[in-house]
Amino acid sequence: MASDAVSDLSTAFAGKAPPLSEEDVARAQDRRRILETRSARRPLRLLWLLAGPGVLAMLGENDGPSMVSYATTGATYGIGFFIPFILLTFVMAFAVQEMTIRLGAATHRGHAELIFERFGPFWGYFAMGDLVFGNVLTLITEFIAIRAGGLYFGVPASLSVGLALLLILSSLAFRRYATWERAAMALAAFNLLFIPAALYAHPSGAALAKAIATWSPLQGGVNAAFVTLVMSNIGATVTPWMIFFQQSAVVDKGLTMADAPQARLETAIGAVLAAIAGIAAVAAASPLFASKVDVSNFSNGADFATALRPLLGTTGATLFALGMIEAGVVAAMTISTSSAYAFGETLRRKHSLNLDFAQGRWFYGAAILSTLIAAGIVLIPGAPLLALTLTVNVIATLLMAPALLLLLLLVNDREIMGAHANTWRANLVAGTIVGALVLAGAAYGVVTVFPNLLGGPP
Amino acid sequence: MSREAELIGALEPAQLTAATERALPRRKLGRGMTALLIALRLYIFIAVAIVGYAFVEALTR
Repeated sequence: MASDAVSDLSTAFAGKAPPLSEEDVARAQDRRRILETRSARRPLRLLWLLAGPGVLAMLGENDGPSMVSYATTGATYGIGFFIPFILLTFVMAFAVQEMTIRLGAATHRGHAELIFERFGPFWGYFAMGDLVFGNVLTLITEFIAIRAGGLYFGVPASLSVGLALLLILSSLAFRRYATWERAAMALAAFNLLFIPAALYAHPSGAALAKAIATWSPLQGGVNAAFVTLVMSNIGATVTPWMIFFQQSAVVDKGLTMADAPQARLETAIGAVLAAIAGIAAVAAASPLFASKVDVSNFSNGADFATALRPLLGTTGATLFALGMIEAGVVAAMTISTSSAYAFGETLRRKHSLNLDFAQGRWFYGAAILSTLIAAGIVLIPGAPLLALTLTVNVIATLLMAPALLLLLLLVNDREIMGAHANTWRANLVAGTIVGALVLAGAAYGVVTVFPNLLGGPP
Repeated sequence: MSREAELIGALEPAQLTAATERALPRRKLGRGMTALLIALRLYIFIAVAIVGYAFVEALTR
């Protein structure tokens, strides 16, 4: 049921048939299938049909820089404090993404669209600036991951990047949201390759259980490197593009508030799967910690896979490298789509994966151009890849605080949310997350400017 | 009723592109909230500058 401001607009067509677009017809076909399944009381099929935006946001965020962050965490700290910390970050991610489900399903508008319409262009352009800045940097690092994974197998950088580019751009040729979504989900399943890779590291179940129960050990203590990894691990889980992507995908898929329970469930399933894959990456890289391998000079994910080969064996290292390639490809698909949705919403151009190329030239153009730019930059020789990869997640964490505040304002806006606005409990959780992100950012700033403050190596 | 018109009944009226193309009314932000947004914006400018400094320093180390 739409809320006041939204239903006021929808009743503007009362008494006459509203003009229909091909996009409406495509979306209605998907909706019809969902309504029929709901009427037939087939809960698992309904969940399957409604799954997508949440799983893709969560597994998409287990991207190249995220998996490198997890691997760096495992190699630097082993199994300990960061295992429950990663679980906590995914709880945070779920709390944030759940709000985007309600916003999209109640208003049927994307996030950028709502910011521009409700708060005006001043805050809209700032939000877009943050998104574009973060997305372009992140997209570059996705191709770094793809390139790195390819190098492990001896594939030249230009070939691996070119093949990935072909795959990502081909996915846009479906011109149907539902098909694009299923293709992306099929690829995202390969994120779970990190689980068998971790099994080759023979992680101790007792050590994992102890880490989760006690948030320890934290060998090396709290220093600048620790704060950077805290920031990187948060940025590996909660980022602005996820907000924009999931809300737009909810709208493009045509979800309504009646679908919210299933949408929440699929987002929770995505969060659990992504948390398991993230922890698996930490566990897979933990033998490097036990062997006291210095990863600070590693330039990319291929270095991790190569260093892990004598410790995990060829199969384990190969799975790790393949996981890196998957992480980069799926995230490049979702992040470029997130940029395209936001671009279309900002410029009030048609924005949907249900459009044909002629109607959606701005939408597809933004996705294609951003992907081409990122792929091109990665092929520049001598780029500082690991430093860039870790920095991207830190930037994502910093940009999250204002993005979350705008999300909170929108989801508390009763004129557009009606009865689906946040409860005080949801506001308490989200407010705590904003505060924690600001504090983490401030701590990072302090230890960067004063690296000796916490002692230990920066 | 045409097949398309029948099909479109599966959508809520507010989901139609004709409805979403119409902008929602603008909301006025209070002073406190505007101040908080400006403060976070300043925080971003300072924090990103620090990240940039750390990145460059890591490259020259």
